[in-house]
Amino acid sequence: MSDSSQWKGYLISYSNDSLLLQSPYIHNDCTVYGPDSDSTTMAVAGIQYLQNQGHHITAIHLTESIDAKVIFMSTSVDSPQRNEELPTATVDWQVIEGEEATLVLSQSDAEHFEFDEPTGTEIMDDDLFNDMNAAWEHECSKQHVSQGAYVSQSQYLEGGTARLSLASQSFEGQIIWPPRQMDSSGNRLPREEGLLSDRATVESWTKLSAAGAPSEFSLRAPILGGIQTLLVKFDEGPRGVFLVCDDVDYSPTIGDQVEFGVRRIYAQEGLIRYGLKAIPSLN
Amino acid sequence: MNFPSSLQVGQLAPLKCPWALHCLSMFVAGNGAFLDSTGASYGFGLKKDRLNQMLVLPRLVMVDVAVIGAGQTKYGNHQLGLKGMWAEAAENAFASVDQDFDPRQVDEAFIGSVAFGGGQLGNTAALLTEHSGMEGVPVRRVENACASSGFALRDAWMAIKSGQADVVVAGGIEKMNDLSPERKRFWLGVSGDTEWERLAGLTFPGTYALMARRHFHEHRSTHDDLVHISVKNHMHGFENQQAHLQKQVSFEKAASGFMVADPLTLYDCCPTSDGASCVILAADHVVRQFTDDPVWLRSSGAGSDRLALHDRPSITQLVATQKASKSAYSAAGITATDVDLAEVHDCFTVAEMIATEDLGFAESGQGGMFARDGRGIRNEGSVCINPSGGLKSKGHPLGATGTGQAVEVFKQLRGSVESERQVRDAQIGITHNVGGSGATCAVHVFGRDRNE
Repeated sequence: MSDSSQWKGYLISYSNDSLLLQSPYIHNDCTVYGPDSDSTTMAVAGIQYLQNQGHHITAIHLTESIDAKVIFMSTSVDSPQRNEELPTATVDWQVIEGEEATLVLSQSDAEHFEFDEPTGTEIMDDDLFNDMNAAWEHECSKQHVSQGAYVSQSQYLEGGTARLSLASQSFEGQIIWPPRQMDSSGNRLPREEGLLSDRATVESWTKLSAAGAPSEFSLRAPILGGIQTLLVKFDEGPRGVFLVCDDVDYSPTIGDQVEFGVRRIYAQEGLIRYGLKAIPSLN
Repeated sequence: MNFPSSLQVGQLAPLKCPWALHCLSMFVAGNGAFLDSTGASYGFGLKKDRLNQMLVLPRLVMVDVAVIGAGQTKYGNHQLGLKGMWAEAAENAFASVDQDFDPRQVDEAFIGSVAFGGGQLGNTAALLTEHSGMEGVPVRRVENACASSGFALRDAWMAIKSGQADVVVAGGIEKMNDLSPERKRFWLGVSGDTEWERLAGLTFPGTYALMARRHFHEHRSTHDDLVHISVKNHMHGFENQQAHLQKQVSFEKAASGFMVADPLTLYDCCPTSDGASCVILAADHVVRQFTDDPVWLRSSGAGSDRLALHDRPSITQLVATQKASKSAYSAAGITATDVDLAEVHDCFTVAEMIATEDLGFAESGQGGMFARDGRGIRNEGSVCINPSGGLKSKGHPLGATGTGQAVEVFKQLRGSVESERQVRDAQIGITHNVGGSGATCAVHVFGRDRNE
């Protein structure tokens, strides 16, 4: 017997300290990823769920399709795929990837799993599936390069932990996020240590039409009917701007509560940039 | 080195320095503080004999700065390239000087440009001055996003105030319509906090849309208030022969425009323009060589703020504008009620609504009501906001906008705009030039009279 529910936009089934995650979308009788998701984003969600259940995970075996750096920046969980010097004995968890958009996260010595089939799947529109796949394929090609505003790989990685895990600085009673370099006296601020809460309040929002969207989104914005961005305030004080998840029809209102999950943002030069998406809070 | 006892180091501005005073100049420059906190400065006269005389009988002289000429291209979709557009703007500025103007008289030049598209990112200014008779003049590109030439103007003003130059050109240029749509969209939004805002899908329409929605929420303003601004600016720009969009727009049409970034529609957004603008400044002791009808650049104020919207305590005000205007008004000895006309940075209509508050024309939170009541309409309201049509109608060639605003104020104060759009009895005008979503701002006060 397992507990089935939804977690950060994925269907989950939790049993005997193992977790099954499945994309909710079905296309041609196959389970497929949503418009902003892949095995990396789902693995992050899975690790976060297990951490939320009280599991202390220090390292995990990942599959080839999962971006180990993103896993580490999002969850602080290391992997042999990121860190070749990691002692094997410390890697006590594993990710097993199904043929379709399904993952199992379990302890490394687990051999037998028994999950209830998750409920809540929905059919993905044929055009949406085909168009989004074609767009991502084009974006992920090395020939797809930036011509203006450009977040380099090193700049992306420098802010990655703060961006993906909401790691924040604490200084003289204030919580600071995104990270800053110096205070107003010219003194260096401490490195990020704590994490912001996973919930925030909407202070403003906009939906950019496909014509107004940045070029990085120019292939997918027309398919999605534009892209939606929220300005939110965390309970600890800092504010931030976040894309909304691409697969939920959400009309925000100032004062709404949202939570966050990792999503694909865009791809350039063969590299996918990941960030957080705001997900309307169910509670 | 001994200084005359009545002079203070830091208030001296040895300029166009004669060889005998080179060491003095270096010493003072090394202290790096020619201007006091209000922006006022003190300097000696220009000529060697006068300077020597003053060293014998020292007295402090405040250098005033005048605009002696100003010109621009028409804004819009230009066939001309960078060199051609700049030459046209410079030519118009030279021609506007009442006496013959020789560009070889220029001591320094500051040219604002974002270098949109990256076609001429390096040495932009040197290329342009080379093609406008200013070959050999010390020159540099000034970049502060959309406030680039507002800051070029400030730098030019400071060059004269510091005593280092007598005749200075400030200008700006941008060529935006020669790019493919994709390349253009990559460049729109390069002036935000790229690492954070761009990864959240924001370009400036989105950023200003967030500000607008929050203003509606906090202050009960509405999109109709923004429509009033759009209609007014199109009305003001209709007769402006230099404007990009010379067309009137009805309230109904502006209210029902295509949604660009909810709640901002097409009629809330300025167009993407090509253009160049050029302003010539002169120190008071040489003004009469050029004109008997100068416009005085009475003060320059500037400020900055955190780049990213989410890093600011409030997104319904621009602290940089508040700082810049407070400084500029104070140095000119005026208040907002003294201003007859204001060229305001309305890249989006909400930017004008917020600016009317930050510049002191409306109480905080009352910018919507100010627009609704028509208080910025030419010759009807308490102050004419954007007599040129503003960025909304006149256009917004990023780097050219700040000095383009100065061109309009120069002409308005001299009574030389098209008669249909002349602001009556205009004595004092200001320019307000903002970079990005408010990270930088320059405000300048112009007057028919010098500071008292």
